[in-house]
Amino acid sequence: MLITGIRSKPVYAPLQPDLSGRYHIMVGHGVGAAPLARLLGDLATAAPTALERTRVWYVNDPAAPQSNAEAFRAAKVAQLRTFGGVDPLLADLTAAMDQALMGTRLYVAGPESFMGLVMRIAHEFNLAGDEVRAEECGTLARRVHCIHCRATIENVRTNIVECGCGRWLVVRDHYSRRLAAYMGVMVDAEVPGERPEIKEVFL
Amino acid sequence: MSAAHADTIPVRVVAIEQVTPQIRHFTLEPIAGGDLPAFSGGSHIIVVMRGAQRDYRNPYSLMSSPNELGNYQISVLRVDPSRGGSAFMHDQVRVGSELEIAHPVNLFALAKLARKHLLLAGGIGITPFMAQLHDLRATNVPYELHYATRSPAHGAYCELLASVEPRRIRLYHDSNRHFIDFESLLAGQPLGTHVYVCGPAGMITRVLDTARALGWPDSHVHYEKFAAPPTGDAFDAYLQQSGIEVHVQGDQSLLEAIEAAGVDAPYLCRGGVCGFCRTEVVAVDGELLHNDHFLSADEKASGKLIMPCVSRAHCRKLVLNL
Repeated sequence: MLITGIRSKPVYAPLQPDLSGRYHIMVGHGVGAAPLARLLGDLATAAPTALERTRVWYVNDPAAPQSNAEAFRAAKVAQLRTFGGVDPLLADLTAAMDQALMGTRLYVAGPESFMGLVMRIAHEFNLAGDEVRAEECGTLARRVHCIHCRATIENVRTNIVECGCGRWLVVRDHYSRRLAAYMGVMVDAEVPGERPEIKEVFL
Repeated sequence: MSAAHADTIPVRVVAIEQVTPQIRHFTLEPIAGGDLPAFSGGSHIIVVMRGAQRDYRNPYSLMSSPNELGNYQISVLRVDPSRGGSAFMHDQVRVGSELEIAHPVNLFALAKLARKHLLLAGGIGITPFMAQLHDLRATNVPYELHYATRSPAHGAYCELLASVEPRRIRLYHDSNRHFIDFESLLAGQPLGTHVYVCGPAGMITRVLDTARALGWPDSHVHYEKFAAPPTGDAFDAYLQQSGIEVHVQGDQSLLEAIEAAGVDAPYLCRGGVCGFCRTEVVAVDGELLHNDHFLSADEKASGKLIMPCVSRAHCRKLVLNL
């Protein structure tokens, strides 16, 4: 029902420092603190002076273990900016990217929906695949774009979700980088009311 | 065999301008009338010249506006010593001469999603940018052209460019000891910039090395190098599929020798960059001399592949799967 095997679903990998970059921008959310702390440690070991050209953006999540956040706060980076919510971080990051120079590498760690929003900014700045790295951690809850009314539904954990427009949508693996969301398609278009069982699948 | 050059277009030279002592500018119109095929800035054509001894096929960038298809314009630098092509264009071609051209191919296209374009031209390398500037003027994307020539007298199109877009264009002349500072130029570009370089081999190498050292990803670095096929020793090549033996003269490329034997081998750029003419080597009783920028070091070392447009062999007999 999910219609899997779709190639647009993003692929993630553990973060590793890219020493070919001259500047490093790291962005994390909640539990993303752990991979960022590990990444900063690896970078400091491989190229100690690189931290002087490293900046970190981070969204505090009260639900995430705080010990990890403390770990990367101790790193001596050029700048650490923390935020209470995603939107202010995205606005601040966009302003910083506008001033950033070629040679910058972007690293993202956090829940997939958050990474999608950061990646969308990366695409707006025409960052290529070899300039961006992403590591998924935390919830797999999805941002879903209703292809009928074009509303976006946040934090979807189920295979079927009701949109504000009244339609029931099946959440596909078809991912739009431009919208930073998975596509939701009306599930009972042929036989109104005939819907598969709703299950929690994106945990 | 390859659709890109299955058909050539007969054209007539309707104007020739001597732009600098070494550069001639040609205007080509289709003999059949009407419009020539549409193209985008950065495209090149192959001009087929029917010489007395043999044919020449040289790539030249289209310089004219992609919006005006009644004619194409190209510039030809006289190379000294010439393998024949540039000398033919300078000495044999007159207004009224008829030539054949292959359809345009673009291996040096502007990146559509770039936030800024940085164009670096050296000498005759200005030609693809002349057409791209037409495309760039139609967008809101920032761009800069840095154009280096030996002296003001060698700077084809300097005056034209400087008068059209003084804000966006910087000229450099070796004679004034004024050189492009690639290091500081590439170090200060905003995220999302693409750099394009066309010029002498040394300039291209310096830009590629500098960009890499400054952390530019390869996907944002574009270059075009039309290396003339290096000359060398004569050798024989056996085309296994066709069952034809060809003799490659010292001043002739392997591709040219194959074509002269009547075999329609694939090609696009004729400069060792596009990879289209990649051919399997079945056997060689000597050494392959790779001159292309396409095959990886491993592929070159394997001895199993060759790009006949620029590469040759130091051997008596080379057997190709062609």
